[in-house]
Amino acid sequence: MDQNQTKVLNGYHVVFLVHLVMSGNILLTLPNLLSPLGFSQWWFPLLFGVIANLLLIPMIWIALKYKQHNLFAIHELLLGKWLGRSLNGFLILYAVLTLASVVEGYLDLIQIIALPDRTIIGPLIVFMLLLVYIVNGDIKSIARFCIISFFLVVWILFFLKWAIGEGDIKHILPLFNFTRQEFFTATKNGFIAMSGFEIILFYFPYIICQKKAFKQASLGIWITVSVYFVTVFASVMYYSEWQLENVMYPVLYLLNAVTLPFLERVDVLAISLWVFLILTTAAAFLWVAKKGLDSIRDKEKKSHLYIIAAIVFGIVSIPFPAEYQKMVYERVYYSNYGFMIWPSFLCIIHLLKTKKEVVK
Amino acid sequence: MSFSESDKNGFSNETSIQNDNVLLDAIKNKLNEVEDAVFKNIQTADELVTIIYLSSLIEKLTLHRTVIAPLLTNKEDLLKSAEVPEKVNISSILSSITEGNTIVYFQSKNLFSTVNTYSPPTSSIANSDTESTVSGPRDAFTESLQTNLSLVKRRIQNTRLKNRDYIIGTETNTKVSVLYIEKIVNDNNLTKVINKIEAIDYRGFNDITILAQLMEDHQFSPFPQYQVTERPDMVTSSLIDGRVVIMMNNSIGAVICPSSFLGFFMSPEDYYNRWTTATLLRCIRFFGFFLTIMLTPFYISALSHHPEMLPYEVLKSLYESRSRVPFPPVIEVLFMELVIEVLREAGSRMPTKIGQTIGIVGGIVIGTAAVEAGLVSNILIVLVAISALLSFLPPSYKMSNASRFVRYIFILSAGFFGLYGQMIAFAWLIYHLVNLTSLGTPFMSPVIPRKWTDLLDSIVLAPTSFLKHKKGVASAESKKVLPENREE
Repeated sequence: MDQNQTKVLNGYHVVFLVHLVMSGNILLTLPNLLSPLGFSQWWFPLLFGVIANLLLIPMIWIALKYKQHNLFAIHELLLGKWLGRSLNGFLILYAVLTLASVVEGYLDLIQIIALPDRTIIGPLIVFMLLLVYIVNGDIKSIARFCIISFFLVVWILFFLKWAIGEGDIKHILPLFNFTRQEFFTATKNGFIAMSGFEIILFYFPYIICQKKAFKQASLGIWITVSVYFVTVFASVMYYSEWQLENVMYPVLYLLNAVTLPFLERVDVLAISLWVFLILTTAAAFLWVAKKGLDSIRDKEKKSHLYIIAAIVFGIVSIPFPAEYQKMVYERVYYSNYGFMIWPSFLCIIHLLKTKKEVVK
Repeated sequence: MSFSESDKNGFSNETSIQNDNVLLDAIKNKLNEVEDAVFKNIQTADELVTIIYLSSLIEKLTLHRTVIAPLLTNKEDLLKSAEVPEKVNISSILSSITEGNTIVYFQSKNLFSTVNTYSPPTSSIANSDTESTVSGPRDAFTESLQTNLSLVKRRIQNTRLKNRDYIIGTETNTKVSVLYIEKIVNDNNLTKVINKIEAIDYRGFNDITILAQLMEDHQFSPFPQYQVTERPDMVTSSLIDGRVVIMMNNSIGAVICPSSFLGFFMSPEDYYNRWTTATLLRCIRFFGFFLTIMLTPFYISALSHHPEMLPYEVLKSLYESRSRVPFPPVIEVLFMELVIEVLREAGSRMPTKIGQTIGIVGGIVIGTAAVEAGLVSNILIVLVAISALLSFLPPSYKMSNASRFVRYIFILSAGFFGLYGQMIAFAWLIYHLVNLTSLGTPFMSPVIPRKWTDLLDSIVLAPTSFLKHKKGVASAESKKVLPENREE
């Protein structure tokens, strides 16, 4: 491996890769997912930030032990070829299904809000073509796209001004108005919003200054947390508890509070612009799946990218029964929690293995 | 002037006269059917001299002053000031003749010498047509490489300003000159430029833009990746920034390597204006570029797919204005944009006076008639006109053309998928720009890679005293403009 060629991601790249891969569809539904907590949900993004940051520690630790290897390679090194590759197969499946769920979720939204009289096939084709074009570049190209995307989309937060202006600040109290059951339900539903930072395990070998990766990734996580916090806070101020529970995309409708003399429906503009966030998330997962296939087949091929894109296209375009699809995507979401915790187990395996080697 | 004895260059003493006559015959043979090739025998006081030249490249007065008169009056002066060619053979002599030199053959001495008499008719130094400014220097490059070099060298009076010459074009043998300032230029950039020039295998060059296209990193991109300028002041500021500039004989442009996307929106005039004015103008140019590709597509999106986006009053006036238009908005926009393209193209191809008339006919008659005939809405006429004007804001004509092409991608995207399509096209555009490179340097510099000092001279122009650092795009060896640039 040529060190100079592979180490391409600087600090800015890492920060925005972590942040943009985390931000996706979930932000639009986050206040609804956290609705079991009622108005007390507004400080939960901060709690999620702390948990995510704690989960990041074993990830970076194990990655620093195998600086030149991504998670696929680490699996093979720690678990052996067959077990490692089997696990990598699951990881590819996970990446493909996550990608499919992200794309389908977004295109459904587009169909509902922006293109009600169209099927999703046309938008899906152009989306996938662009996605393949983006991933055809390397991880650095994706990271660069993340940086630009952030600045192109972040200004939408300004529109929250209207919701905050019309909202009621008294909603933020009391802070702990929920039961233990409600806490766990909301955390189970809402923590999915933090998923995406674990992808760092795949692009870690490409980071120039790996020792600073923890700091940079943490910054990325806390930028996401800040965005979530502001959004959930505005939602809590603007909506009633009943609305939080029953409006599926509260953040989108929050934008309808905006009154501009030349624009009536800001949500249409916002959801169209959201494609930047979806593209960054989808690009990262497609890149991971492609790298996975490369590692399993022991060769880097462009065709792997096209194969995975075709599979995702098939999954999204084939009309599976809604209940079945929902069940699959929910399991993917929950497997994401497993994936976040998995590096901790890898750390233990690494320690055991190292100890065994020392004894020998 | 050059001068050599044939016997010192591969001809034996015994056979030199014979060989030189053979050479003379060979030259005559090669220049057969070249009607402007002149072979003239001149009898001087002591010997017969043959001069050979191409009359189309040499002014008679220059020939008389530099060759004929010295031959007849003071031949020794001519011999003393002669230049020595490295080799005397048929190809070097022919190449010298086609460069505009006069070959002087002294028959008794068996000497071939070349005298630089190149003096073709050249256009005088005038204003630039495509990069004109209100304030600042008025001189622009001409088709003569020598004149162009002099325009730069009179501005940078520094021996560290180097120029290396190369001959390119397998059929045209066109001379190009690579300019840079030693100790400021990044050696990697210089090597890349030289390697690219040396690797070029192309038949002929009528203009330097062909060379620029052949040197591009991404030839399928709609965007130009090197700035081509006709202005010596722009070349000067690029050189002192540490960039490499290429000039070509018979071309009025100079290629700046590397270039950045933002650079295409900067005019040399910005530095002659107050920084406040310059900042305002740069903002208009830069955001105007994105507006010109977004304006008419947004009209399509709003009317075809998202009428609910617009407030009732705006929507009402839009629908009223196109109440008699039978076409969908995308066809209406495509029709009007193509009419504008046709007018623009027709106007630029016709003689100036007729071109103006076509502009008036197009603008008033076709526009008004199209609205009255119910072919397009009058609001669209306004939008297309604004869009067309905005497309001319970038000081670079090439970038202006790129915006026109990209706009059609946006129009079709908006026609198919509304605002979503527009954003997909925008994402493509951004990704494409982010990944473009110019001579291996990211095209979006200073955004990617970041160079904070470059932000002082980006969309916002800081007061001149703040502009102490060279731009990041050139990766110059010494970072500050002063005092390193001074002669040591």
